[in-house]
Amino acid sequence: MTDLTRRNFTWLAGASLAGLSTPLFAPAVFGQGKPKVVVIGGGPGGATVARYLAKESNGAVDVTLVEPLKQFTTCFFSNLYVGGFRDYKSLTHNYDKVKKSGVKVVHAMATAIDRDKKQVLAGGNRIPYDRLVVAPGIDLKFDSVPGYSEAAAEIMPHAWKPGAQTQLLVKKLNALKDGDTIVMVAPPNPYRCPPGPYERVSMFAHVLKKKGHKKSKIIVLDPKPAFSKQAVFMEGWEKHYPGMIEWQDPKMHGGIKSVDPKTGVIKTDLAEYKAALANVIPAQMAGKIARDAQLTNQSGFCEIHPESMKSKVDANIFVIGDATIAGDMPKSAFSANSQAKVAAMIIRSELTQSRAFPARYTNTCWSLIAPDDDVKVGASYEPGEGKIKQISGFVSQKGEAADLRKQNYKESVDWYNGIVTDVFG
Amino acid sequence: MRGASASYRMTRCGSIACGAIFAGCIAMVDAGTARAADVELGRYLSSECTTCHSPHAHSAIPNIHGMMESTFTEVVRAYREKRLNNPVMQNVAARLNDEDIAALAAYFASAKKVP
Repeated sequence: MTDLTRRNFTWLAGASLAGLSTPLFAPAVFGQGKPKVVVIGGGPGGATVARYLAKESNGAVDVTLVEPLKQFTTCFFSNLYVGGFRDYKSLTHNYDKVKKSGVKVVHAMATAIDRDKKQVLAGGNRIPYDRLVVAPGIDLKFDSVPGYSEAAAEIMPHAWKPGAQTQLLVKKLNALKDGDTIVMVAPPNPYRCPPGPYERVSMFAHVLKKKGHKKSKIIVLDPKPAFSKQAVFMEGWEKHYPGMIEWQDPKMHGGIKSVDPKTGVIKTDLAEYKAALANVIPAQMAGKIARDAQLTNQSGFCEIHPESMKSKVDANIFVIGDATIAGDMPKSAFSANSQAKVAAMIIRSELTQSRAFPARYTNTCWSLIAPDDDVKVGASYEPGEGKIKQISGFVSQKGEAADLRKQNYKESVDWYNGIVTDVFG
Repeated sequence: MRGASASYRMTRCGSIACGAIFAGCIAMVDAGTARAADVELGRYLSSECTTCHSPHAHSAIPNIHGMMESTFTEVVRAYREKRLNNPVMQNVAARLNDEDIAALAAYFASAKKVP
């Protein structure tokens, strides 16, 4: 029996036994005042769920978003900043319209969740909740790459979280001389934005090509045997940047043995590279607060019920976005935004008895290989087989017409404008 | 293909099976929500669309807020039947049944563009 079925049964049974003496759509009683929802994390998942809860409930639910940053820079489209197609400011958004939609925004770091008392600790205050949404994104497992650390990231940026790291990467990229070598250490599954490392490699190559580099090389050391949209990426690399990019799977490099931020040397089992720019993207896990609250399993990510995005360990908590184990769905802003809408719909139904619908999810990821050469992958998902299961999908194919790829790029730009409006208002 | 509304009613049917005593109550609920259900369903389903289709003016991705119901219906059906080519839209339309499309068309016809 699904959560939805259980909930409807309980509600309908209760209404019937009361002889319909109370209105069917009366709000649930949660102590005094409106039911309270707290959302931790103001990214594409958290800001979406907060905004949708506030606007769809017409003020019937008290929504508080806890996010330390006053300006949020999106990870999605940051590769276009790396490639010089966007400026940094265009990726940065504030919470003014989130506030206007009726959400209380607390600019503080959520430091703990008291699950017994149903309170979030943030900025020295305890914020009570009836339902909590945890959307902390990812943390990096720095020690997953021998020799790498948080301090090393100041020299060998990961740039896998938005902000200063991305700016550092661009600064180092723009300082390269012809003949230099870029080494990317790609992340193991599961990680944020599956095509992201390979779009970034494309943007590195675009910048070097534009600067007239003839001898520079980009080496990708990958712990995976295959990657998202591999066929079209590799075709595009050969077409636009012949001989510049060398992708190595584990059989080719034999394992990544060490990175040394002092010397820039990266050793594999079979070779040694001196990187003028090293982009080291380590393994990932759910954000700290989800781990501290014991919402994660041994994988480091959070198990959820696919019908609702509700945590499998706490019925009052929902987890959305990159911190989750979302079955067939990739970790992406699009996925987080989609999951947020399901969570908001279910939470509203639990707190205000609004109508609930079966969960359905969607994702599409666009990737730019070169100017006007953009590829995409996408899918629809529904609960099935105990997970969020893909029910249909598509991916760009090799040899597609230039006009189609150009249209994909235009579409991606419109998508960016659409999703940031959907997330931040 | 499965539709949200059909599944929703099936869920309700599951409750009905749990005891005849509730049957009258459930019938009232379903009858009471049937007329308003389309736009409410459309509003929920629309959240899948608004990730890309902003209420602001767009170019490559059209602004579908305020679109005539007949136009909306014809275009989405054309994607579902693969008479229009964009794979993103073909994928989205593939799981929409006629009731879903009608619900979405009604919702977007009433939705406002934002300058």
